[in-house]
Amino acid sequence: MAIRSDLLTDLTTNLSNSSVSISTQVPYVSGDIPLYVKNMKKMYVDEEQQEITELYNCLDNNDVLQTETTVNAYVCVDAKTQPTDIDTVVSTCLNAKNSIANAIIRESSVENEYQDDKIIYTFEYRFITV
Amino acid sequence: MAIINVSAGNEAVLVLGDSAANANIAGSDGLTVPSMQDITINNSTGVFRFKTLDNTAESAVTTPATNQITLNVVVDDAAFFGTGAGSIDTVVDEGLFGVSKNKTRVYFNAGFNGTDATSKFVSGSGFISGLAPTVNMDSPVWVTPVTIEVDGDYTEGVVS
Repeated sequence: MAIRSDLLTDLTTNLSNSSVSISTQVPYVSGDIPLYVKNMKKMYVDEEQQEITELYNCLDNNDVLQTETTVNAYVCVDAKTQPTDIDTVVSTCLNAKNSIANAIIRESSVENEYQDDKIIYTFEYRFITV
Repeated sequence: MAIINVSAGNEAVLVLGDSAANANIAGSDGLTVPSMQDITINNSTGVFRFKTLDNTAESAVTTPATNQITLNVVVDDAAFFGTGAGSIDTVVDEGLFGVSKNKTRVYFNAGFNGTDATSKFVSGSGFISGLAPTVNMDSPVWVTPVTIEVDGDYTEGVVS
């Protein structure tokens, strides 16, 4: 789980002076409410999802494998009164992908959805390593 | 009669050496080419066609074959650049790149169904050619084609 750990380290450092803090907990559901909804302005990074596929299939079974890792992170803020630095926070979170070493593909994206008067930002990080 | 299934991972084998003895498929002195993606053993004869007045179709005879073994491999640094020195075989020491660059004659055993007794192989000698290692960010591992330009005929053999 090195990628999640590296993302947490990077986000903790680069969001230290922002209105959003970082939790080391995974975003489990407590009392039917996800932690990131219960604790607004606190970011939660989920566990890694991995898929290992063959990059090169060799006759001696010495195959070359690649690992595609996806990590989601969540933060929820008040939609009526968004933090003034939300644009910077989103940009910082997207750029956290650059903290992962030895990956040939580093991608990140963000989607948002509304839940009552809250807005939930869902970040997806995608990495491919060989 | 049986098909030859190579999915076990030790069936399609190519061993190179600087002598026929070192290239013995059942030995340990030559270079067993690792991480082959595919291998093709070409025995392509030429054809001479001629027409005669008493025949409604062309006649044909085959002419001497062009023998060539082509393969694609994932580059292994020891196999490609050699181990430097210390082995009893030049191909092991110099690697595929070294024997290509130095135009060293290599002997080969190309096994069809492994190295166990009674397994079939073809042998011969020739020269390494056609190296073109390539890499890119979509496939970030070096791969290269390899051609053995066979000098002369193949010999069919059976592992004893």
